[in-house]
Amino acid sequence: MSKLLNKSLKIFILYAGIVLAGSIPAYYFIVDLIWEHELKEHNLIVSETIKQNLQSLSLSDEELAASITLWNKLRPETQLQPVAALLPDSTYNIYRKNKYIPAKGKDRFQGLITYFSINGKPFRLTLETNMEESHETIMAIAVVTIMFFLILLGGFILINRRIAERLWRPFYNSLGKIQSFNLHKPEEISFDHSDIEEFRLLNHHLHKLITGNIASYQQQKEFTQHASHELQTPLSVIKFKLDLLHQSEPLTEEQSDIIDQAHQALAKVTRVNKNLLLLAKIENSQFPEKEQIDLSSLIERYVPFLQDFLDDKQLQVQLNITRPVQLSVNKTLLEIVLTNLFMNAIRYSETGSVIQLSLDEHHLMMANTGTEALDTQRLFRRFGLSAPHSSGTGLGLAIIHEVCQLYGWKESYRFENGFHIFSIHWS
Amino acid sequence: MATGLYQRLNISSAISNSAFQIQKKFKIGAYFCQMKVLIIEDELQLAQSVIGYLSGENYICEHASTYQQALEKLCVYEYQCILLDLMLPDGNGLQLLEEIKKRQQQEGVIIISAKDSYDDKIKGLQIGADDYLAKPFHLPELAARVYSVIRRRSFQNNNVVQQEELQIDLLAKTVHIHDKPVLLTRKEFDLLIYFLSNKNRVISKNALAEHLSGDIADMLDNHSFVYAHIKNLKRKLHEAGCGNYLKTVYATGYKWEV
Repeated sequence: MSKLLNKSLKIFILYAGIVLAGSIPAYYFIVDLIWEHELKEHNLIVSETIKQNLQSLSLSDEELAASITLWNKLRPETQLQPVAALLPDSTYNIYRKNKYIPAKGKDRFQGLITYFSINGKPFRLTLETNMEESHETIMAIAVVTIMFFLILLGGFILINRRIAERLWRPFYNSLGKIQSFNLHKPEEISFDHSDIEEFRLLNHHLHKLITGNIASYQQQKEFTQHASHELQTPLSVIKFKLDLLHQSEPLTEEQSDIIDQAHQALAKVTRVNKNLLLLAKIENSQFPEKEQIDLSSLIERYVPFLQDFLDDKQLQVQLNITRPVQLSVNKTLLEIVLTNLFMNAIRYSETGSVIQLSLDEHHLMMANTGTEALDTQRLFRRFGLSAPHSSGTGLGLAIIHEVCQLYGWKESYRFENGFHIFSIHWS
Repeated sequence: MATGLYQRLNISSAISNSAFQIQKKFKIGAYFCQMKVLIIEDELQLAQSVIGYLSGENYICEHASTYQQALEKLCVYEYQCILLDLMLPDGNGLQLLEEIKKRQQQEGVIIISAKDSYDDKIKGLQIGADDYLAKPFHLPELAARVYSVIRRRSFQNNNVVQQEELQIDLLAKTVHIHDKPVLLTRKEFDLLIYFLSNKNRVISKNALAEHLSGDIADMLDNHSFVYAHIKNLKRKLHEAGCGNYLKTVYATGYKWEV
């Protein structure tokens, strides 16, 4: 994962690199062209000067021949030679070994061949000027360009960091606030003021979004609580009426059965309602009291309460508690977690099997027999795995999840060797 | 406003005058035959059901649906047990409970609440309520609670229930049949008291399961343990020579018939 700014930086650097690399040949051609042009002009000026000076000397033929020989000896870069006829001027560019300083290697020359006549005789003047070799030019330009590129690179990185720190600070501030925001424990969130239009807009809309979310979440929670409370009275009425109906005389077996079935369905609705209410209460942090609880002894005291249910299915509980474990929690919630774990195990165990519970310093693990793995994705969700004909409410594990969230514990499930294994981890 | 209040005071004093005479008449009978129960509950359907169920059980039930009405009745009559709903249209039940407790009467108070709130429960019991029942509950459960609260309040020293050959000491939790002790488990004893407080009433297996295991019971549908406990209770009573009072009503209910 790369940061937004680094991404743009990379592109900028790449672009700068390409442009600068492209500029090397361009500079070279221009510099070379100017060089050549200037030297051609220089050669022309020199040759014209020589011509005119020679012509104005008005030397005799002997004197001229002697002068030319001397000239050619002293100034090898300019050769004056008698020729048969006058020809048009020409230029050339040549690399040649340095005769006088061989260590210098090859030198580059811009040459001009021009014709003129002195005393009516045609002469050829060859004029050469030393010119910068192209590889040296390229080298120089490349070195300068790379230097500039490095300066640019350093500048980019520096500026980028500055921008990240200064320009994007409001963005990262807002980001940090959203990161630490938890809908389950909503605190008033306020974003810093920013002069930059985009950030201001972003913060404004984030604030709107979050406060809207908090409000609707709050409403939803209150709704659940109110709905559950409202349901208690009609549920009581139904229960009372069924109890009264049971007293009617004469009572037939059929009526008795119907009452029993109605009681069972009612019990499930009551359970769902109670659990929804409990979830809402946990979410609304209505269990703030905490106390030090010895979980190991709580479990040992708790198991006898389940004896009736265990007997019904001929189940056995095997406790594997290595040492006393102290937890600072709400006792009611801890008992609810235990109850839900045990009830699930009892409800879904095969008759006559063994429920295993192990407890160590950081884990509580409950294992019961089963036939196939459960859908872990939906397991701890509300009504995630509820079946219409099951006596379970589909909320037991969601309650465990909620309690774990409250205390920062981690609940997990796995299926291993025909055992459903639920565990809770705390640190 | 002022005149309205004045008139109301007049009316209530008129009520208390006439009620005073009625109260005197009932006071003598109260301890010896019928127990008076006041139901403070704003939901009429619930109140009616409770009255309907308890009335056949040697209880005389009265109903108040508001805080004010309840106060007026409490000023005039004497009750053995008060069933108090915490959410009243014109006041808080806990406040009413404080009022009741201030008068230092003998009556027991059972809080009936839709809130099932731990705080309310603790507060209620601290102020002096005898019991706390969270809605929804079974009527036989309520009858059992009323029975035990009244027994505890009114028969502190001699809390022994006698029915024919059966003799139960509620304090010592012992049972004698034909003057011979019968050993019952805690749950069997609980069931026996439950049946005695719901004489001649059909009690569903569901209600018994809830009574025996409380909150845990309603998490499972399979309540065959109820059957197991009842079978044992019946066997022990029968072996000790007790009459066959405990009847099975089809497969789903039980009845203590006398």
